[in-house]
Order: sequence, then C-alpha cells, then structure tokens
Amino acid sequence: MQIHLDTMLVTLVVASLMIGFSLWLRGKIIAGAPTGAQNAVEALIGFVNDTVRDNFPVHNPIIAPLALTIFTFIFLCNSIDLLPAYLLGHTAHLFGIEHFRPVPTNDLNLPVAMALTVFGMVLYYEFKLKPGHFMKELLLQPFASLLLDSKNPLVKFLGVLLIPLNFTLKLIEEIAKPLSLSFRLFGNMFAGEVIFLLIAMLLLADSSEQLASFGGIASELIGIMVGVGWSLFHMFIGLLQAFIFMILSVVYLSIAHQPAEH
Amino acid sequence: MNIDLTFIGQIVVFVTMVWVLKSLLYTPINDAMASRTKKIEDGLAAANAGVEAEALAKAEAEAAIAAAKNQAQDIVAAAERRAAEVKEESVIRARKEAEAIVDAGKEELGAEVIRARQELRQEVATIAIAAAEKIIDAELDATRHNHLIDEAIATGLATA
Repeated sequence: MQIHLDTMLVTLVVASLMIGFSLWLRGKIIAGAPTGAQNAVEALIGFVNDTVRDNFPVHNPIIAPLALTIFTFIFLCNSIDLLPAYLLGHTAHLFGIEHFRPVPTNDLNLPVAMALTVFGMVLYYEFKLKPGHFMKELLLQPFASLLLDSKNPLVKFLGVLLIPLNFTLKLIEEIAKPLSLSFRLFGNMFAGEVIFLLIAMLLLADSSEQLASFGGIASELIGIMVGVGWSLFHMFIGLLQAFIFMILSVVYLSIAHQPAEH
Repeated sequence: MNIDLTFIGQIVVFVTMVWVLKSLLYTPINDAMASRTKKIEDGLAAANAGVEAEALAKAEAEAAIAAAKNQAQDIVAAAERRAAEVKEESVIRARKEAEAIVDAGKEELGAEVIRARQELRQEVATIAIAAAEKIIDAELDATRHNHLIDEAIATGLATA
C-alpha cells in the first residue's frame, strides 16, 4: 500500500488553514451586528442551513455541519487549481519531491473517501431509522414484492427465485450513488487540470530567440488570454462541483431520512 | 491513479474536519445567528408594543382633551346662565329700589302736604286769633265771636 504524500500534504494544509480560520474567528463571534469575516461565514452557513432545511423532513444536527464541511473543503481544494500550473509542482521539486500534483480533488482518493463516508452515513441512517423497510427494498424490489403477495404458490416461488436478481439490481443502484458522486468531482477537476497544463504548454519556449519571434509572441499572448479565460471558467466549475457534491450528499441523506411509506 | 492508503487518510481527514468545523465554526456561528434572530424578533415585538402603547396614549389624551372641552363648555354655559341671573336680579332689585324711592317720595310728599296743611291751619288760626283779638278789641263779646270764627275756619278748610 502506498500513500500519496502530495494529496495528504495539501489536504492537511487546507484543513489546518480552515481550523486556524475557525479558531481565529471563534474569539470574535458576536451576537450583535456581524462584520467582516463573520458576515461572510454567516452568509455561507445561512445558505447551507436553507439547503438542508429545504431537503430534510426531520432535524438532524450533523447534516448542516457535514454539508458545510463538504462545500468549503472541496471548494478550497478546487481553488488550488487557480495557482499557476507548475508553481507548487516545481516548488516541491526543489525539496526533492517528484511528481507533485497540487490539487487534492484530482486524486481519486479524496472524492472516493468523501463519497464513501457519505454513503456509509446513508446506509447507517437507512438501517437505523427504518431497518425492516430498507431490507425489504433491498431484497424485494423491483420484481419480487408483487409476486410474493400472490396466492399461487408457484408464483410465490418464482418471487423467491428472483431475490438475488433484485439484490444485484438494488446494489448497483446504491453503489452508483457514491460512484457518480466521486467520479463527477474527480473527472471535472482532473480535466480542468489537464487543460491548465495544455494551456501552460502554449507558454513554453525552447530558447529566448524562439520567445522573441513573431510566433513566440503570438503564442504567449494567446496562452495568457486562454489561461485567464480558463481560470475564470474553472473557478466557476470548482464552485459548482463543490455545490453539487454538497447538495447531492444532502439529498442522498434526506432520502435515507424519509419516513417509510409502506 | 489508484485507491490506496491515501483513501483511509482522506476519510480520517474528512471526518475530523466535519467534527472540528462543527464544534469550532458551525455551532458558535449558528448560535450567534439564532440569538440575533431572537433579539431582532424581540426588538420588533417591543417596537410594535410601543406603537400600540403610543396609539393608546394618543386615544387617551384625545379623550381627556374632549372631556376637558366639554367641561369648559359646561363651565362657560353655567357662567353665562349665572351672569344672566345676576343681570336679571340686579334689574329686579333696581326696579324695586326705584319703586321704594318713588314710594318714599310719595309718602314724604303726603307727609309734607299734611304738615303744610297743619301749618296752614295754625297760621289761619293765628291770623284768626289776631283778627279775633282785633274784633274783641272792637266788640268785647269774645265767646260768641270765637264760635263764629271757628265756624268760619271749618268752612274755610272744607273748601281749601
């Protein structure tokens, strides 16, 4: 087993920054008219609270902090992409670290870890809040429940035979949730990073003569313009992916909290 | 690009972050927001109560002013009535006084007339006596003459 030091390092730095910010802000929180950083954080928390309240049938005190963490953590990790493409990699190279990839959401491990944590919570709440209903859904949907209700023993036997198929289908359905959740984030961020590297290649030149030539200057200008454009667009993508990850986590968890209908 | 030990590390980081952010950032800010919401609601309720109290006080003040106006009108009306009474009384009194003066004048006049008559009678008597003395001087039948004189006076007074 190996461990990706770059991902761990950057994640820990981001986490430490967030914790440091929280500690710094905690001493200044006032119940009166908020100012500065507290204003911004309150807007964020108000937004997260609204999202959770709109989706959840019951109150669960851990959901809103979970959604807040997902959103801010993923957004900050995505934002590292906005630093110059080779800056962190080359800096790390100076310290003897090869193949440094700065953006932790580009490493499949982070999206999968978060998605599976959310998925684990979904399973936990499904089994905790409505164990019978969830087991029934797992084994008897979509085919068996009608057949098992039948009076005819032969049809009933057919229903029992179909249970493994039901289970497989339901398993695929459930596995698809964390899989799509993690791969969506990973794919978006990875593609964005690749495009950043491709744009950065436009700016590469072998020598100063090449850089000074007409083609060199045109390439540099185009590279800078495209780079700025893509940076703006990717900033939006990073925000959007963080939001999507957060809202889908809330929705999956809220489905687990829905009261059983039958 | 594969799932390895980083995956475990990321789960640890993520779960720790959820816990830390919940206790350090989310809960304090949420509490502050909730207490502020409560404070604002209380303030608005107090403001509403103040507005209602002001309206009530205004109504009370208006009622008091109206009552005072009514009272003032009553007082003015009473004063006017009293003035009219006083005027009438003084007129009546003046009339009575005038009548009394007139009566007194009449009485005095009557008394004067009587006194004048008596004086006149005495004067006439004196004159008559003087005349009688002269007659007595002339005819010394005093008794008969006095009787004649009295008769003459009585007839004279009756015609006077």
